[in-house]
Amino acid sequence: MIAQMITYLRERSEMMKWIFFAYLGFALVFDFFADRHDAHFWGDPVIGFWAIFGLVGCLLMIVFCKGLSHVWLERDRDYYDK
Amino acid sequence: MTSSIFMHPATLFIVGALLLPLFRKFNAQKIWLVVVPLLAFIQIRYLPESFGTVEWLGFELEFGRVDKLTMVFLHVFTLMALIGSIFGLHVKESGQHAAAWLYVAGSLGTTLAGDYLTVFIFWELMAVASVFLVWYRKRTKSIEAGYRYLLVHTFGGLILLGGIFLRYQNVHDLSFDLIAPDSATFADYLIMIGFMLNAAVPPIHAWLPDAYPEATVTGAVFMCAFTTKTAVYVLARGFAGYEALAIMGAIMTLYGVGYAVIENDARRILAYHIVSQVGYMVCGIGIGTHLALNGAAAHAYAHILYKALLFMGVGSVLEMTGRSKLSELGGLYKYMPLSLIFTVIGGIAISGFPLTSGFISKSMIIAGAGADHQIFIMLMLMLAAVGTFLSVGIKLPYFIWFGPNDPGIKPKEAYWNMQVGMFMAAFMCIFLGIYPEYLYDMLPYAVEYNPYTSYHLAETFHLLGFTGLGFYLMVRYLKPHDVSNLDLDWFYRKGALAFMWLARKPVNAANEWVSNVYQTVGLRFTMAAARALSWFDWEGIDWAIDGSAKGMIKVGDRTRLLQTGKLQHYIGAAAGLVFVVLIVVVLV
Repeated sequence: MIAQMITYLRERSEMMKWIFFAYLGFALVFDFFADRHDAHFWGDPVIGFWAIFGLVGCLLMIVFCKGLSHVWLERDRDYYDK
Repeated sequence: MTSSIFMHPATLFIVGALLLPLFRKFNAQKIWLVVVPLLAFIQIRYLPESFGTVEWLGFELEFGRVDKLTMVFLHVFTLMALIGSIFGLHVKESGQHAAAWLYVAGSLGTTLAGDYLTVFIFWELMAVASVFLVWYRKRTKSIEAGYRYLLVHTFGGLILLGGIFLRYQNVHDLSFDLIAPDSATFADYLIMIGFMLNAAVPPIHAWLPDAYPEATVTGAVFMCAFTTKTAVYVLARGFAGYEALAIMGAIMTLYGVGYAVIENDARRILAYHIVSQVGYMVCGIGIGTHLALNGAAAHAYAHILYKALLFMGVGSVLEMTGRSKLSELGGLYKYMPLSLIFTVIGGIAISGFPLTSGFISKSMIIAGAGADHQIFIMLMLMLAAVGTFLSVGIKLPYFIWFGPNDPGIKPKEAYWNMQVGMFMAAFMCIFLGIYPEYLYDMLPYAVEYNPYTSYHLAETFHLLGFTGLGFYLMVRYLKPHDVSNLDLDWFYRKGALAFMWLARKPVNAANEWVSNVYQTVGLRFTMAAARALSWFDWEGIDWAIDGSAKGMIKVGDRTRLLQTGKLQHYIGAAAGLVFVVLIVVVLV
């Protein structure tokens, strides 16, 4: 039954995509109403700061880690057996 | 005095482990596997503040010291022992369960210890017992990884022991209490390094992602819970407020996450996430304020449950398919949907979704950093949260249960007992998220912290939502490849090869040259001298003490039969012997 439900949702990926974007929109709107009385640093009062932090951080992390793996860390599976 | 040692919860697990083969013989192993941890989980509530104080060789050993900090860890350790034992019910080998329980006993013993000697004894029991959880996988790679694990932990244990000895020489006191940062000496730093090795703080962390993915399915569930979190406990007990720990912890969070983004093996990804998550706790301990220490304890509690849940989820996949590499998996949602749901609950809990345990514990440490004006550290922790959601929240379930691959396998859903284990952990993850007071009331200091503020919610919505967007944009670059990535274990793994080469080539050549010289020159003298001595031995000495040499030959023959030549057996026997000695010492 769970598998059928997941299949049902997977067949409607376009709809899922828009629900996800709607959620992101909601998160941004929600930020305007959030109570910020105990700001710890300069980023806290900025509307959408953590959205940008999350997106940019995620992209940079993928680029940096995947790149580092590709140019330096990557070895064959049996590297230590040779 | 002797009775009080029997109320030690470690005794329950040690006796339980010793009786396991008996229960297996009478087909009651499954019942025993549930009864013992359940008893321990109830029994810890009735422990007195101090018990099991023993005088030994002029040292005062304190086997039981209970306060609020101890209680949080005891509570989650015994709960975890119960969940892990239920998850492993289908495993028939008593040995594997016994190793797991002795390992739990080591962890409980360390947590309850009131002096460094007791800490050390149980610390070593943990290392020795847990290596069997790797060896029981019985693959060549596991055996090798197990030896490396044991060697690294022996090394860490020696540093710890050295620190303990030096400390005793300095202050003539072995009681295990907080050492103020400004009075710490070289000895104390050695102890701290010994503890940090078990907490997998880089650069001495590589044993963890090396060994855990090679452990048995159940073994990994136990290992992910106990070694590092016991280390977190001892660090919180002895070394709270060390700034070095705050910085190292923050680095750890990013280090582990970075590797998790590029790794391919599901259990290796999770192993790197232990490094990352323990980083939060180490950082909280380093900050050392009441809020941050509470956060570290709360996060240890929450982390044990969701990390075990994640290891159970991918362990189920490994058990049913024999695979754990993301590049060899995909599309399993049709066959193992329940494991998917449980793993996703673990994934959102580790990422700190609202209404899960991660949300109410991780944020305490981050708030602790913020309130202490450690802005840079706070941003590092936030960035690690992004990477956590990216790699465990989305990437891991996506490539196992959905993903572009179709491996063409149709596994069955995990066994019922595995599902029960996963359900219990998943239930706790959500229960703690909805009702955080249950955990907060256990914490060492009074808590005035409310995680469900509108700002914290907005922050989390943004951070996780837009990380999801990043994944959506970059998913094709995240496709896992079947490679292994270098880590700092390179130094000792390649270093050992270099050492072996050195031993095989130059040292061996020198050795042969010397033995050639010896054979041509030295041997004749030696033979003559030996003949003379031998005559004196048989005719002179054995005559004097009445044929005892002939008796010894017989004993030697018997002993030789006991020697199997397998190092595993010797280590097991040695650990057993230590405990027999310990029990005798304590009782007499």
